[in-house]
Amino acid sequence: MTADLAAGSAAQLTNIWKSYGPVPVLKGVSLALQQGEVHALLGGNGAGKSTLMKIMSGLVSANAGSIEINGVPLPHASPALAQQLGLYLVPQEAHILGNQSVLENICLGLRPSPRALRKRVEQLIAELAVTLDLDAQAATLEIAERQIVEILRGLVREARVLILDEPTSALTPFEVHALFQRVRKLQAQGVGIFFISHKLREIREICGTISVLRDGAVVLSGPLDTYSDAEIIDAMSRVTTGAAPTGAPAKRSGTGAGPVRLSVRKLSGEGFRDISLEVRAGEVLGLAGVVGAGRTEFSETLFGLRRQSGGSVALDGVELANRSPRRCIDAGLVYLPEDRQQNGLFLDAPLYWNTSSYLIHRLPFLLRPGHERSLFDKFRQSMGIKCTGPGQSAKALSGGNQQKVLMSKCLSAAPKVLVLDEPTRGVDVAARNDIYALIRKLAADGVAVILISSDFDEIELLADRVVVMAFGQLGGELTENISVDAIARLAFGAGEQAHA
Amino acid sequence: MLNIVARNRVLMLLAVMAAACLALGFAAPGYLSAATASVILSNSLVLLLISLGTMLVILTRNIDVSSGSILGLSAATLGMSLNAGVSLPLAIALCVLTGMAAGALNGLLVAYLRIPSIVATLGTLGLYRGIMLIQTGGRWIEDLPQNLKALAGGIGFGISILTVTVLGLFILAWIFLRRTRFGRYFYAVGDNRDAAHHLGVPVRRVQFTAFVASGACAAIAGLIFAAQIGFIPNQAGNGVELKAIAVNVLGGVSLLGGSGSVAGVFTAAIFLTSIDSALVFLKIPAFWNDFIAGAILLIVLLLDGRIRLLIDRRIRARRYAVHARTPQGGGATGKIADKALLAEASR
Repeated sequence: MTADLAAGSAAQLTNIWKSYGPVPVLKGVSLALQQGEVHALLGGNGAGKSTLMKIMSGLVSANAGSIEINGVPLPHASPALAQQLGLYLVPQEAHILGNQSVLENICLGLRPSPRALRKRVEQLIAELAVTLDLDAQAATLEIAERQIVEILRGLVREARVLILDEPTSALTPFEVHALFQRVRKLQAQGVGIFFISHKLREIREICGTISVLRDGAVVLSGPLDTYSDAEIIDAMSRVTTGAAPTGAPAKRSGTGAGPVRLSVRKLSGEGFRDISLEVRAGEVLGLAGVVGAGRTEFSETLFGLRRQSGGSVALDGVELANRSPRRCIDAGLVYLPEDRQQNGLFLDAPLYWNTSSYLIHRLPFLLRPGHERSLFDKFRQSMGIKCTGPGQSAKALSGGNQQKVLMSKCLSAAPKVLVLDEPTRGVDVAARNDIYALIRKLAADGVAVILISSDFDEIELLADRVVVMAFGQLGGELTENISVDAIARLAFGAGEQAHA
Repeated sequence: MLNIVARNRVLMLLAVMAAACLALGFAAPGYLSAATASVILSNSLVLLLISLGTMLVILTRNIDVSSGSILGLSAATLGMSLNAGVSLPLAIALCVLTGMAAGALNGLLVAYLRIPSIVATLGTLGLYRGIMLIQTGGRWIEDLPQNLKALAGGIGFGISILTVTVLGLFILAWIFLRRTRFGRYFYAVGDNRDAAHHLGVPVRRVQFTAFVASGACAAIAGLIFAAQIGFIPNQAGNGVELKAIAVNVLGGVSLLGGSGSVAGVFTAAIFLTSIDSALVFLKIPAFWNDFIAGAILLIVLLLDGRIRLLIDRRIRARRYAVHARTPQGGGATGKIADKALLAEASR
């Protein structure tokens, strides 16, 4: 049966056109997905990937072109219809109904009642090798658990075509491993999967076919083996932007960093305890760990967003007691939050409001928009933010550009110590390289940088020194021989083998 | 204990109400009687229905402030057609149809033309009242036929056919919201519109239906109003929409949509009405009604907010206690234990 299925087409997109206003986003995209195929889909910011996925799953209607799922054409845009035909989109940011139970969240929109589906869901959870309390209120779920809810939604619908939109961006390596095993099992059952990711290493591990989108058109498509990483990155980003590939930015040559900027002594708070560390001027300190290790809680406490239960923090030797975000900003300690949609940006506000939002308390009572605009323009040029102008609203930008705006907001406060929490989450390869280069440049200018990341490759690439947090405590420190394996060993506790 | 209070607004309201009633029973002997209960129930019918309709709309994360005007407009339709010689059943049908049409216009504006519900229904609040005034020439509708007024008459146990209708509608709404798929969609749409859309819930149809149902409820409330009072003033139903919103809030319906129960709304409406009747009994001037109702609403909400805050803090403390307890080399087993504890903490 499997052999029989493997031959058929799971999804077929033919000559899809779409434009928002006068701007064409998709210019005649055609893609084919076979049954039992894991098809990687890559593209830079604004390449049209997410629009394409929305069209395929019936959320948005195309201007022209046709969509076939399992050989049946999708007559008009309707998510319900697309799901009936066997397609499910697992979005990057999980859609959660906070007031309902986890089980109701998974089963919403299905004909059988949640109670009738419970057995099936429990079985799927066991197969996925995850723990999930079906009766908990969904609002209490962590990001990773929310993602699992989304994947379960797809599985319980017995989808024949799954679209996974950056499914691993919030998962721990262990969970990624479990997800990949599940994907392989689905693949063997003949399910076709579109796998959207920015991580080439993961794509190499799980995908057989690749398509690259750029500026609304497919620029590369075929079996993955036939392309090198360089070719793929090249196809994705370069020609249009014109910049040369930066690749890995050089680490600091001299190890003798500047004076100690930030020193944290035995800081304890919600989700972590007894964290002591120092960061020197001109140093990038990697703060690694898996999701739930307490890194975000630590940095939010550092920045005065949460209450500490013990310990002290000193900046340039002066103790920072009773920290509040404003006091931290004024002292030169600036935090870039993990979730840019929720905590980072004012999405409806114009871009220049965002840039100056960390400084707003220092501006005169009567604001001078001209100055704010020129401040934004400065960052726009130096970081290459793609936008129509300083008055555009932040939500109109793609992920990578939003992240750059967020960076410019942090930099506008002229930080001495900059804490970056997952600065490249949901950012494409090109923008990611820009951000890496920027981080190195900041360090070279004497800023002390703390880089928090679950992506151990990123830490290996950028950090001069690494501290690892595990289960709310310091798990160890690496000063030389920083490698993904060494970090992973510490992050999971010495006893466990990393699956990365 | 705290959890029970916070999760169960109905219980809390009932407790407060019971305490208040007992106190009143001591202060004014004769208050605690079947007659008082029957008066309170029949006095609350209009508010009950308007609140029920408003709840359906609020569940979907919209708001309807036009229900008072819909009440007036449909009552006027009823009265004018009756006085023009139309038979009672037909006139009632016309009245309900008027309400549904008015609700449908609201739904059209909000769900399909994407006008924010507060703006759209503020507009129709004026519009419907205006239509009513134009139709009636600003005059009160009097001399309503006897058979309409008879509907408010008792059929035993101090209950009228109107009361039975309202109770029936509440039971219907309860079954609809709790036991049907489409009813569950109301909660889903209000909780997270994007998620609902993504999962194939017909978001717009749900919103539209909520407004139509709200209009129908307001129309039936208009019928009850006319039957009970016996005439229709040109300001009939004025201001009841705000009272209905207060009832919803008091009854534990989240104004952000997605949570609330029919039982909560029912209890809260009875509660607010019983305050009015208690004041009458205590011979406190009627000017105090609004003041006291407002003060009680604030006190209940304040208490509720504090309790919720306390519970949140406890859940947080328990969640983070997990980390403090974890042993040093807690590998996979530590992690699983972690999850189990988290699940427990969030329960």
